Amino acid sequence: MSVLARSVGNAFRNKIRTTAVVAVLAVAIGLALAMLVANQAVTAKVTELNASVGTTLTVNPAGGQGFEGGGEPLTVQQAATAAQVPNVTEVVGTKALRLRNATEMAAQGAGGAGGFGGQATTTMTTSLTPAVDAGTLGNRNQETGTTGSQPARTFSLPITATGTGAEVDSTGKALDITEGSGLGDYTAASKSALLGTTLAEKNSLKVGSTFTINDQTFTVAGLFDAGTAFGNNAVYLTLTEAQTLAALPGELSTMIVTVNSMENVDAAKTALQTALGTDKADVTQGQRNLETAVSSLDSVKNISLIAFVAALGTAGLIILLIMVMLVRERRKEIGVLKAIGAPNRTIGLQFVLEALVLVTLGSAVGAAVASFASGSIATALIGSSTTTTAAPGVRRATGGFPGGDPLGGANQLLTSVTASASPGVIAAGIAAVFGVAIIGALVPALLTARIRPIEVLRGE
Amino acid sequence: MIEVKNLVRMFQSGERTIKPVNNVSFELAQGTFASIVGKSGSGKSTLLSLLGALDKPTSGDVVVDGVSLAGMPDGKLTEYRRRDIGFVFQQFNLIPNLTALDNVMLPMEFAGVRRSIRTQRAKELLEQVQLDVDRHDRRINRLSGGEQQRVAIARALANEPKLILADEPTGNLDEQTGGHIIELLNSLRREHNTTILVVTHDRSLANKTDRRFRLQQGRLTEETAPKQTQGTAAAGTAAVAAAATVG
Ligand SMILES: Nc1ncnc2c1ncn2[C@@H]1O[C@H](COP(=O)(O)OP(=O)(O)OP(=O)(O)O)[C@@H](O)[C@H]1O
Ligand SMILES: [Mg+2]
Repeated sequence: MSVLARSVGNAFRNKIRTTAVVAVLAVAIGLALAMLVANQAVTAKVTELNASVGTTLTVNPAGGQGFEGGGEPLTVQQAATAAQVPNVTEVVGTKALRLRNATEMAAQGAGGAGGFGGQATTTMTTSLTPAVDAGTLGNRNQETGTTGSQPARTFSLPITATGTGAEVDSTGKALDITEGSGLGDYTAASKSALLGTTLAEKNSLKVGSTFTINDQTFTVAGLFDAGTAFGNNAVYLTLTEAQTLAALPGELSTMIVTVNSMENVDAAKTALQTALGTDKADVTQGQRNLETAVSSLDSVKNISLIAFVAALGTAGLIILLIMVMLVRERRKEIGVLKAIGAPNRTIGLQFVLEALVLVTLGSAVGAAVASFASGSIATALIGSSTTTTAAPGVRRATGGFPGGDPLGGANQLLTSVTASASPGVIAAGIAAVFGVAIIGALVPALLTARIRPIEVLRGE
Repeated sequence: MIEVKNLVRMFQSGERTIKPVNNVSFELAQGTFASIVGKSGSGKSTLLSLLGALDKPTSGDVVVDGVSLAGMPDGKLTEYRRRDIGFVFQQFNLIPNLTALDNVMLPMEFAGVRRSIRTQRAKELLEQVQLDVDRHDRRINRLSGGEQQRVAIARALANEPKLILADEPTGNLDEQTGGHIIELLNSLRREHNTTILVVTHDRSLANKTDRRFRLQQGRLTEETAPKQTQGTAAAGTAAVAAAATVG
């Protein structure tokens, strides 16, 4: 019987204790790993959110936003000015048009769509039927001042057609084209258009189908998914085409300005505001609510990292205590080994190997537990801390397994763990756990081995 | 050759100090079969553990083949126990979750003996102490007291030690098995010139040894009755004691 065989045998000597030790270790190590996974998931989400909104600024005409409000419209010249501001990497101009269903307009009469704010928003007719119902509450858009003159009138929301200078939506995020292709050169006039998925569905349009705006025929080049019902009730055209349609070349509704990095956003915002003039343009930063989402996610990230360290520390402490107890319990055996001539290193080796067997088992079970648990932990962490905007990211970060797919789980664990900590850090963590186990076994074993055998044999 | 010089072992027991071994001196030539008798609690086990380097004396020294144990570092003492000493404990001190065979193989493993040779020799030794073959692979905690005692003896013989220190090696054995063990030890002495020192309450065993010592209140005296004439042994006990207890 070799030292190794003896150690393995000893590790399983007391089956109940071994099971308990492995279970406790597994929970601690599993928790540590799960925290690492959660940390990674949140980090990925934060990066994604930062990438999408963190570096974009929106410029609106002073006093106006969207279709509402007054003030002078923005111009192409201002876009050029904005592009000169330090740290600005891209300026995308958009021109928004308001489309109303032609038949409905005719039924309501020519003045039906009037009464919008002072800004020169152009309302046009289209063959498209909106995909969003106006709803029954209230009298949306103060359609008529009169009471009960048109009681059973059918009414639906307008459709927004946005001419854009690049393949991005109004927040600067890249359009998610699900079918067909983009519009190619967004600064050239083109009779192609991108339709939101629900709008296309409502009008039974596919890629290649046609519809009209102001009696001009447009071809559907592609479909996009904005993620919301409202966002999908929209049409994208090239910027130039929209300006041509509105007969307002050189005029912009908004500019989406991309800054080169997060740190420079505030400075660029101030510089941009100065360059354009406060009386001419309002510069706003992306969506402020996302920023708070990011900061709360950041705190979750920190908590998960602390939890990881704490769980790892706990695992270490448990191993240390267990090993110390285990060696103390077997003092007499050490005395016997020593009395029949076992060198200290043999005694040390035997207990170290025994510790390693326990830790290896605990780690393996812990990793298995983590594989099953990490997905739901990450989902729960992110799900409870952010608004709905986090949803797609979560799906991506966790791989969408609520504990049903062990193989995928293990893969997910591996990728997550390696993504959130470098191999060196992981190796160091593993080494730390095993190191603690080795020290916990070796030190008390050697201390006992140093005592005169007769004293150890006699017991306490 | 083992020389014991003015050996003292003191214990602090509350207020009192007890000296189970109080200024003991004697010499044993290589190949001697000797016995120590004495009342329970007279210090026999204490003396034996000092000789086996399991304990350190309060004062005095044990010299083995000219080498003093007193000045030896821990590692050398371990080597001495492994190579030169076969110790049979009064409480056996076997590893309970290992089999009889594994227990006997342990000292050989520490001495670096090859596995195949270890197994072979362990089996032979267990046969020599008359442990049934079907008990060889049984774990110690499933063996009877007498069976354990014989495993302990087999383990003590494993590394062919120069000196065997046995604390009541026949205490749990029937007369016949005990007699066989004595015969086994005697043959070792004859064939390998092994020095053997046994602690015993067994008169018949003591009478078969070359030299007989008695430990009384920490003092060692030697009985000089001729070992063949068992009837006069008791009478001779008190008569002459001083020979080996000089100092
Ligand atoms: N560590 C110790 N501390 C205090 N007293 C001790 C210690 N070890 C032994 N003694 C005492 O020393 C005396 C001798 O003990 P020892 O075990 O040597 O007796 P023994 O002759 O072997 O007895 P037995 O025949 O019953 O085995 C006893 O009175 C015992 O109480
Ligand atoms: Mg005793």
